[in-house]
Amino acid sequence: MTDVRTPTPEAAVTSSEPNRSRWIVLAVVLAFVALLPFARWLESYNYVLQVGTIILMWVAMASSWNILGGYTGYTSLGHNVFFGIGAYVGGMLLVEAGISPFITAPLAGLVAMITGAIVGLITFRAKGPAFIISTIALLLVIFLLLDNWEYVGGANGLSLPLAPFELSWVKVPFYYGMLVSAVLAVLLGYRVAHSKMGLALRAIAADEVKAEVAGIDTRRFKLMAYALSAFFPGVVGAIWGYSLTYVRPTAFFAISVAAQFVLMSIIGGRGTVAGPVIGAAFIIMLNELSVTYLGGSEINLAFTGLIMVLALLFFPLGLVGTLRATNKLPGWLDWD
Amino acid sequence: MALLELDQVTKRYGGIIAVNEATFSVEKGSITSLIGPNGAGKTTAFDTISGVIEVDGGKIRYAGKDITNLRPWAVTKLGIGRTFQVTRELGDMTVLENLAVAGVPNSFSSLLGGRIQKDEYDKAMEVLTFLGIEKLANELSKRLSYGQRKLLELAAVLMIEPDMILLDEPAGGVNPALLDRILDRIQAINDTGITFLIVEHNMDVVMRLSHSIVVMAHGQVLIQNTPEVVRNDERVLDAYLGEA
Ligand SMILES: Nc1ncnc2c1ncn2[C@@H]1O[C@H](COP(=O)(O)OP(=O)(O)O)[C@@H](O)[C@H]1O
Ligand SMILES: [Mg+2]
Repeated sequence: MTDVRTPTPEAAVTSSEPNRSRWIVLAVVLAFVALLPFARWLESYNYVLQVGTIILMWVAMASSWNILGGYTGYTSLGHNVFFGIGAYVGGMLLVEAGISPFITAPLAGLVAMITGAIVGLITFRAKGPAFIISTIALLLVIFLLLDNWEYVGGANGLSLPLAPFELSWVKVPFYYGMLVSAVLAVLLGYRVAHSKMGLALRAIAADEVKAEVAGIDTRRFKLMAYALSAFFPGVVGAIWGYSLTYVRPTAFFAISVAAQFVLMSIIGGRGTVAGPVIGAAFIIMLNELSVTYLGGSEINLAFTGLIMVLALLFFPLGLVGTLRATNKLPGWLDWD
Repeated sequence: MALLELDQVTKRYGGIIAVNEATFSVEKGSITSLIGPNGAGKTTAFDTISGVIEVDGGKIRYAGKDITNLRPWAVTKLGIGRTFQVTRELGDMTVLENLAVAGVPNSFSSLLGGRIQKDEYDKAMEVLTFLGIEKLANELSKRLSYGQRKLLELAAVLMIEPDMILLDEPAGGVNPALLDRILDRIQAINDTGITFLIVEHNMDVVMRLSHSIVVMAHGQVLIQNTPEVVRNDERVLDAYLGEA
């Protein structure tokens, strides 16, 4: 899976002091992303902002998935459960109590996190393909549950009031909400990777019995990984539901949404910090380009599928993973 | 004083009784060997002690405490380290990282601070130097040779600062020079008061190292006694000849 670069003894101890040029490049990129909403002269301003919002949302979600699916080696094909739960928590609190999802988003994340830990208690009874299938089963169960629960609107879901922002600026708060979530989710991924927890999770991915015999409480770490990986999908779910102005089971619990989590991390490089970021940007832009130029048809699906197959053919460890394994990864993308 | 006691321990795999009401003990500070023909149940006995598998019956006590069916990490935290007959290393991690795993706290506090602290680094380097593989510190463990992996297994066990070490065929398949080094290190570790239980096929090694020998065959313990007695016991000869 992930091929980890050999650190010098010093780097191993001080958890790799990042170089200066890396920070400059990252600061420039982040400044560009942060200032994008001010570029109102752009011809397709609203479209650009919308795509940016979606990319940032997926950066947050893919980075979170990577904690469980990348570092720990447990592929979840039902992570949109937490995305959906976040949307419902945010939506219900807006409808019932009138509190803005921008305020309740962290709470939505917390509910997703607790759900993640509970779900982990069940799904971690299985390993490998059986684990994957149990996460899909879980997705179907939650879907059916919410689809039939009239209190939260059943199959029609919840209709949310429009956000009380001035119309020409209405997309901006959502963009920044996703930006903050994305940055924090990547920082969380970075922290996990550079901490002892990351060491434990990678040990679990490598050999669970050996990890346990080395003193790692593997069950507890797997639950912690599950919970941590559920937090930001819950957060961005609350924000996304608000921006859609509706929360409907089919919009959040589709298996195609679940697949995005996996695809982005694998294309970018699962188990690396930068991989999910690159993967999310790559796949969302690829989707947008192919819809723009090929229309919302089957050709567009075939095209994106083909590109992904080619990407994995030439970058079997994902873009970041493969570049690093061949020592071609530019310094500013090496966050591991 | 017995540090480790197995009392009527039984483990079945389907129809096979891999360990059959096995009773033996390991004296504190001793090197005790567990011998017997292939399939006798030695590795399975290790698995029950280290918690890797659950027993179907019997009790395991360590320092007077019941540790039957404790989870492996908990057994490790009590100070019992083990190696595997077929070495298991965390392949995509460096030798240093393999060793640093021993220092991970089992809680969210593992999120704080770096992967390897300075004192852990020093400790790991000390262990690696003791075993003569300090040059491999930054090597990915999957790149190690067979003999080096055997040493890494032992190094990882030393990192937990054990009071008792279980070695599953530490000399199996290693060259004579490395064998001497491993035996020498075992002796040195034992001299510091650490107790050993060793599964080994090489009879020279067993007779040379052991204070006590436990003989197993077909899941049962035939005898536990000193090397001199075991060497001349008829049941032991039968067990081995019956195998041949
Ligand atoms: N995981 C397992 N599943 C089924 N049978 C097993 C398993 N592990 C060991 N056995 C069986 O248990 C018996 C004892 O095996 P083992 O403990 O490995 O013996 P030893 O280490 O003394 O050579 C053998 O008959 C072996 O085939
Ligand atoms: Mg064996």
